[in-house]
Amino acid sequence: MSTASRFRSIEDTVRATHGKPGAGYWVALAVSASVFAFGAWAYSLIVRSGLHWTGLRRPGMWGNLITDFVFWVGIAHSGTLISAILFLFRARFRTAVYRVSEMMTVFAVLTAGLYPVLHLGRPWFAYWLFPYPNERALWVNFRSPLIWDVFAVTTYLTVSSIFLVVGMAPDFAALRDRAEGWRRRLYALLSFGWRGTDEQWRHYTRAYLFFAAFATPLVVSVHSVVSWDFAASVLPGWHSTLFPPYFVAGAILSGVAMVITILVPLRKAFHLEELITQRHVDMLCRLVILTSTIITYSYATEILLTLPQPATDPERSTFVYRMTGDYAPLFWLMVACNCIGPLLLYWRKVRETAAALLAVCIAVNVGMWLERFNIIVTSLAHDRLPFDWRTYVPRWVEWAITFGAFGWFFMLFLVGLKIFPSVSISEMKEEIAHEGALEAGHAH
Amino acid sequence: MRTEPGVLATFDEPAAAARAIRSLRGRGIRDLHAGLPAPFPEVVAALGKPRSAIDYATMPGALLGLVLGILLPVLTSLSWPLVTGGKEIVSLPAFVVIIFEMTVLVGSIANLVAVTVRSFLGGGTGAFPRGEHFNGDRLAVFAAGGGDEAERVFREAGALEVRRVA
Repeated sequence: MSTASRFRSIEDTVRATHGKPGAGYWVALAVSASVFAFGAWAYSLIVRSGLHWTGLRRPGMWGNLITDFVFWVGIAHSGTLISAILFLFRARFRTAVYRVSEMMTVFAVLTAGLYPVLHLGRPWFAYWLFPYPNERALWVNFRSPLIWDVFAVTTYLTVSSIFLVVGMAPDFAALRDRAEGWRRRLYALLSFGWRGTDEQWRHYTRAYLFFAAFATPLVVSVHSVVSWDFAASVLPGWHSTLFPPYFVAGAILSGVAMVITILVPLRKAFHLEELITQRHVDMLCRLVILTSTIITYSYATEILLTLPQPATDPERSTFVYRMTGDYAPLFWLMVACNCIGPLLLYWRKVRETAAALLAVCIAVNVGMWLERFNIIVTSLAHDRLPFDWRTYVPRWVEWAITFGAFGWFFMLFLVGLKIFPSVSISEMKEEIAHEGALEAGHAH
Repeated sequence: MRTEPGVLATFDEPAAAARAIRSLRGRGIRDLHAGLPAPFPEVVAALGKPRSAIDYATMPGALLGLVLGILLPVLTSLSWPLVTGGKEIVSLPAFVVIIFEMTVLVGSIANLVAVTVRSFLGGGTGAFPRGEHFNGDRLAVFAAGGGDEAERVFREAGALEVRRVA
């Protein structure tokens, strides 16, 4: 097959994903939208009559909703890791999978960003979190990690959205040239007048490099900042210098697992096996294994450093409570999902069997949600003062909001799949052209 | 829209296009433009154009973000000096996060403005005859003012199609 026909074939494959949706797509969209609508209705109960609908009682004033926030910020990490960090490291396997990861990042940050607002008793005052001139000249407290969070998450959302939209401009131009009707008009708008001239590429590739350079430390910073929401306090189980790297590794683990969870059905449903190959999935599995071992090391470090302390030590008491107290089943399930489950990916058979791979990756996501729950809830439920110990149990409204967020995320994703190119057309073309040249070189 | 006549050639291999460009430049034909469906660095390098000056917008943008990131927390903290958490009114270690985020945010926005102005809006959109797009399956090289010699070089380099553009 000539290079030109292979270029055309990439475009055709990606254009086919924008074709008329089948019954499966509509069912998935209807389920996602319904779950989201139910979650939104459940949240409206809180807005109408307050946080008494939740299981939040002193001292456990952070529960499912903050767990969800940390979980979704974590999910958002892998997109930028795969698109920016692997771009700087020139890891070629990223080409086929980074667009889906970037889309996932933007939608996950849009989901995460809802939670600090949802968690507020008076969400209509959420704008108080932003520094703006006001009559009383009362500014936000820049020394508080919660304000760091506002800056970190909004910056991450802005930069990752820019990165996604700018990165898609050449692809939208390719789609525009062969589209008709409203799609042509939409793609013309989103391609920003792209014509593919050398001048455009010269400036574009330079700018893309800068975006990647900006996004790389941002990935590390965002979840570090989220970890400081906890680590900057003096609560046993939270006050740890290990938290930033531990949170970043966990974020990458959950994010990559979510990418695989999405990619496996996606490549089958849209016949993308030619572009997203088993090798790409294998490389992502390696990332899961790597980050899982870092997470295992972090769990072990936390526990092994606290267990030798005297029995009266509050840190030790909290960790013993985590492993043996009310939430112990969740703790051990977390260990199984995050530390043992990913080890199955060492076997090729597991990596190549869609159902097994999905099971491992979904388990990792369950495990990572439980990890955040364990950190947040067990520490608050069992702090320094025994008279203040209390078990938090999430109520149905909180579960509805938790699942509603998944509905919101997958609804956005399903709509996005029908509009955005799910694989980078231009970078795939570059890769194929260079592969062809390499093969020709070997033949000579 | 381009009005200057020249020779337009299309290729399906970036190496062939790069070869043609180098050969034309060696013969003194220097007003060359390429249309590329992907970022083929060998073709852009063969054109011998200087590195993009986008740095001159992005770096000052990042520095502006750094300065804003220092001024915002420092000045607002001084305007209402309230001690919280036992920290200094101007707690630079606590402000490092804000400073970093503002640097990245303003730097990225400056980068976006620069790429919009230099690439999307003004990136040589007049380099090719109107209606010619090369985002699909072919690469194109346009030799402005090129005549028979350009045509011959293109053919020798393996162009799929060579035509005169009035």
